[in-house]
Amino acid sequence: MTDPGKLRRDDFPYRMSIPTRWSDNDMLGHVNNVLYYRYFEAVVVRFQMQEAGVDWVNDRVSPQAVETLCRFHRPLSFPETVEAGLRVERIGNSSVTFAIALFGEGQEAPAATGHFVHVFVDSGTMKSQPIPASARRAYEKVR
Amino acid sequence: MRDELPATRDRYRHFLAIQTRWSDNDVYGHVNNVTYYSYFDTVVNCFLIAEGGLDIQAGKVIGVAVETMCRFRKPLAYPEAVEAGLRVGKLGNTSVRYEIGIFRAGEDEAAASGHFVHVFVDRDTSAPVAIPAPIRRALEQIKAPGRTSREKRRR
Repeated sequence: MTDPGKLRRDDFPYRMSIPTRWSDNDMLGHVNNVLYYRYFEAVVVRFQMQEAGVDWVNDRVSPQAVETLCRFHRPLSFPETVEAGLRVERIGNSSVTFAIALFGEGQEAPAATGHFVHVFVDSGTMKSQPIPASARRAYEKVR
Repeated sequence: MRDELPATRDRYRHFLAIQTRWSDNDVYGHVNNVTYYSYFDTVVNCFLIAEGGLDIQAGKVIGVAVETMCRFRKPLAYPEAVEAGLRVGKLGNTSVRYEIGIFRAGEDEAAASGHFVHVFVDRDTSAPVAIPAPIRRALEQIKAPGRTSREKRRR
């Protein structure tokens, strides 16, 4: 496993700017740990909708979160703008694992690194389903 | 690498009832994945405040999250009340690893389970400090039975 402290923005082909908000800070003056997952979710969902063609409203088979993890390396705080980076770490039959990093403004090394696992599920039967071909192609591109 | 996470109620040593809120549900009518971590944050800090005397307003020592993880098994939804189960998986000198299960009322199998690693640091310098004695005593009370770090390495 690569030392997460050595990861840089360029290691993540898909990136998104996320302005922090005042209420993201907790009483210790830093973005609360829970909110990092809000940023993870934002970059994953945006990628899924814009690049992988996922339509959560109309598709019968759509991705659901089954596991997330975050390692907190340094604090973030409002009003900085965070850059979230995403790449695909693993493509399975029905699941995809995204590696994610959050970079603080002007920082080279990530403030946080982690992963987000989505599994494609049939919303009627709740059974896992193979990744649709169009989504799989999008994942291959940012692997 | 899959660590074993306790999935049934009997494996946890402390419980907190948490009332879900309207805004916990996302557009699919289920509690959003991010919100589970808010339940984690709540059960851990309530325990430290009530049982360990953590002073979140003025204490010299604060807990900082260094790693959290959650595995989502079954959906939860407002307006149900859930219960968060807590135990200590590993107690170090300056850090503690909590293991947490989120249960639907009356269910024995966790809807989600995960872990949360806290490092205790000096509020002013951010340098890691030994876990304060009252907090350590409380954490000892909810330690998982029969798991030493040596056993974990062997597995």
